[in-house]
Amino acid sequence: MPLSQQELGELKRLAAKIRRDIVDVTGWSGGAHVGGSLSMVDMLVLLYWKYLRVDPARPDWEDRDRFVLSKGHGGVGHAVVLANKGYFPMEDLKTFNETGSKLGMHLDGAKAQGVDASTGSMGHGLCQALGMALGARVLKKDTRVFCIIGDGESNEGSIWEAAMAAAHYKTPNLVAFLDRNHYMIDGYTEDVMSLEPLADKWRAFGWETRAVDGHDVAALAEAIEFAIAWDKGPVMLLCDTVKGKGVDFMEAKAAWHYGGLSAEMVAKAKQSIGEG
Amino acid sequence: MATSEELLTARIVCRAVLPVIKVMLEDDPKTAAAFQDTVGKVQFVADDPAGRVGACLCFDKGAFTVLQEIIPDADVTFAFSSVPKMNAFFAGKPVVPALGPLMKGVFGNFGLVVNTVKLMLGLKLLMPTASPKDPVKARLKVKMTLYMISTALSQLNKAGDAEMNKWTAKQPDRIYQWSVDGTDIACYLRIKAGKTKAGRGVYTRRKPFIHMRFAGVEGAIPVLNNEVDSLQAMARGLVVSEGSPEYGAKVGDFMLRIAGLLT
Amino acid sequence: MAGVESSTSWTVYDATKLSAREIYGVVLSDLGAARPDIVGLSADLAKSTQIGAFGERFPDRFFNFGIAEQNMFGAAAGLAKMGLTPFVSTFSAFASMRACEFLRTDVCYQNLNVKVIATHGGTSFGSAGTTHHAIEDLSIVRAFANLTVIVPADGFETAQAVKKCLDLAGPIYIRIGRGFEPTVYDREDETFQIGKAVEMRPGTDITIIACGPTVFHAVEASKVLAENDGLSVRVLNMHTIKPIDEEAVMRAVAETRRILTVEDHNVIGGLGTAVADVIAASGKGCAFTKVGIPDTFTPHGYPEDLMNLFGTDTDGIVAKVRELLGREFEEDEDWEDEV
Repeated sequence: MPLSQQELGELKRLAAKIRRDIVDVTGWSGGAHVGGSLSMVDMLVLLYWKYLRVDPARPDWEDRDRFVLSKGHGGVGHAVVLANKGYFPMEDLKTFNETGSKLGMHLDGAKAQGVDASTGSMGHGLCQALGMALGARVLKKDTRVFCIIGDGESNEGSIWEAAMAAAHYKTPNLVAFLDRNHYMIDGYTEDVMSLEPLADKWRAFGWETRAVDGHDVAALAEAIEFAIAWDKGPVMLLCDTVKGKGVDFMEAKAAWHYGGLSAEMVAKAKQSIGEG
Repeated sequence: MATSEELLTARIVCRAVLPVIKVMLEDDPKTAAAFQDTVGKVQFVADDPAGRVGACLCFDKGAFTVLQEIIPDADVTFAFSSVPKMNAFFAGKPVVPALGPLMKGVFGNFGLVVNTVKLMLGLKLLMPTASPKDPVKARLKVKMTLYMISTALSQLNKAGDAEMNKWTAKQPDRIYQWSVDGTDIACYLRIKAGKTKAGRGVYTRRKPFIHMRFAGVEGAIPVLNNEVDSLQAMARGLVVSEGSPEYGAKVGDFMLRIAGLLT
Repeated sequence: MAGVESSTSWTVYDATKLSAREIYGVVLSDLGAARPDIVGLSADLAKSTQIGAFGERFPDRFFNFGIAEQNMFGAAAGLAKMGLTPFVSTFSAFASMRACEFLRTDVCYQNLNVKVIATHGGTSFGSAGTTHHAIEDLSIVRAFANLTVIVPADGFETAQAVKKCLDLAGPIYIRIGRGFEPTVYDREDETFQIGKAVEMRPGTDITIIACGPTVFHAVEASKVLAENDGLSVRVLNMHTIKPIDEEAVMRAVAETRRILTVEDHNVIGGLGTAVADVIAASGKGCAFTKVGIPDTFTPHGYPEDLMNLFGTDTDGIVAKVRELLGREFEEDEDWEDEV
């Protein structure tokens, strides 16, 4: 069902707010994986505010849908989303990266509420997401499992092991997003370790694969709804995104995979993002 | 001139087959009764250009030993014109009169001859064709066969058989045990760094490395007669082999080899 | 009943009684009936690791992940997060090394209720050679926080470990052999407790601390030394090497003053090191030596021969004890065949 103009507007404004918060946390924490967090904001916003059946007041609710951030370095983005959603106070974001705090570069599910899997090392999250999807099947529940993986992350063999197994087990309750932001630490993905033709690969591995503009909220919504309805097996939404999306001086730059921001840069970044 | 394989077979006959006559004398009441007063020496000898081969059965009122030599003063002599002919006799091959044993001193030791022939007939229990229904004979067969095999394996090694020597050379102190459930029938083969020793009963100084356990006398006979192969034998529960499957299989192979030499 | 190691022509199983290697497969299968939360995972080794018995009975709760151990362990973590109790089985070499990070980061770090049955530990997969020998696995997994590490002495003890690991929340690594190892017990010992060593033989001259297949050999060695050398050799079955039974170790230190550890594993980082840690930390004097693979890769060969080669079998242990105690001995040198 297409989003109404009002809903679309609200989501876009929310996405902008999330982006501004990410920039803030990057500023006061001394540095964060800002580029790869900004690129996945639109997916996260749609998931947490429209499609995930979750309740921040009951983070351990047995029948909740699961979300796994396989590209775990996007923790700053996930933390901002969780705080805004009400899993923990916004104040906690000020402690990001501090020794002893609940929030850091790679979120720890034992410390931060709402984190279904503690990830960080590449190639682990999708495997766990698959396990959760299979678990739901064993328990005869209609739990849905959503997972965001990175394109650089897709170099890892275990991603493809999980892909192969998910297709083998035809897990219709598993939906993966590939945050195709084209840049990794050492540069443009196709220069470091080529992935293309990426959509073909996922199709060849047996996933129903859709390419979608990762920043077109309306198109993303439609894609997610298609994925949820698809009952024949796992779905891969290959989201074409921009690393550092929203901040003009960060966009499409490998250098902003990880970085710190002075107060001045924070202000400039937030201005670039605007109100959505 | 006898081949090395023929000499090997003869060695096994003399040192592994003939000695199990003791089992008949001890465990079969009829045989024991027949020999309880017997005193005498029965020589088996085969001619060969390289030197005569044979052994002598010594009976002394129930006591029995096998002398691994050719003595000048045997009471009865079963003489064969060649080693393969002696082997064939013990393999139960039909005796053609011209090729049959020459019995000297027949008239003076008729009783001894008759009894010895009975023993020879008794040894036929060792043949793969023998499936006695009588429980006493069945038990005898199993005990005699296992005793014979354990000694034959040791003799195979002591004779310098290349394959057996190679197999025993590198093994540390190990016991290969055979036993029959529900009976006191047991024997073993001890192997250590190229040396072997056959033993009777259950070895108690260490646990066996391989333990082949037969499901009773009824279970043992089809296996020992090679009526079933090893896989079938285990599938049907006739025998269990505890321990390394690779070494268990190898023992089985050597057991078959012995059977092959003697038939 | 399944249990055929396809590479040999002799399958060691008894129609009326299960062989030791099959016991745990049947136990797990029976537990599966009582516990609907148990799920089984295999990496194309269902038959070799015996978890296939469970899989045949509960196909909806069994997942074969193919030859992809990393994903398998990650998925096990995901299944555990849904409240299920996954039993993951593969060869020790692959559980500890191929899937190392997934075991450590997905399972142990998140402290999940995953039970690992790591088979073919040590040199037990003899013929397969170095690539399939797991002589470092205990050293590796011992270092993972939250993980309990158990090395059962035989098939019966494995059954106990499998049953009792359900009562202990958190990740557990159970390391067993290929299933043809001699049994030490003649039935399951219901007094088995994770974390408590078992005194197999009492003694005062020296203590042998063993785990896994070496327990049998330690017991046999103790008997030989008692009969031949008049030595009183204590044998401890240290099935749980993490958390190790420190109290049993210290009692052995106090009461026998000499300790020899023996394991089908590298001398670096396994049982021997764990025991040494306890002794060293205590500050108490004690003669101590480790028997195991001496920091070398192991060649292919039948496992019984390899254990003999590295001195971890009965003969090796006997020789080592005699060496330590400076004893002469009288061999049985009568090689005449009995009649």
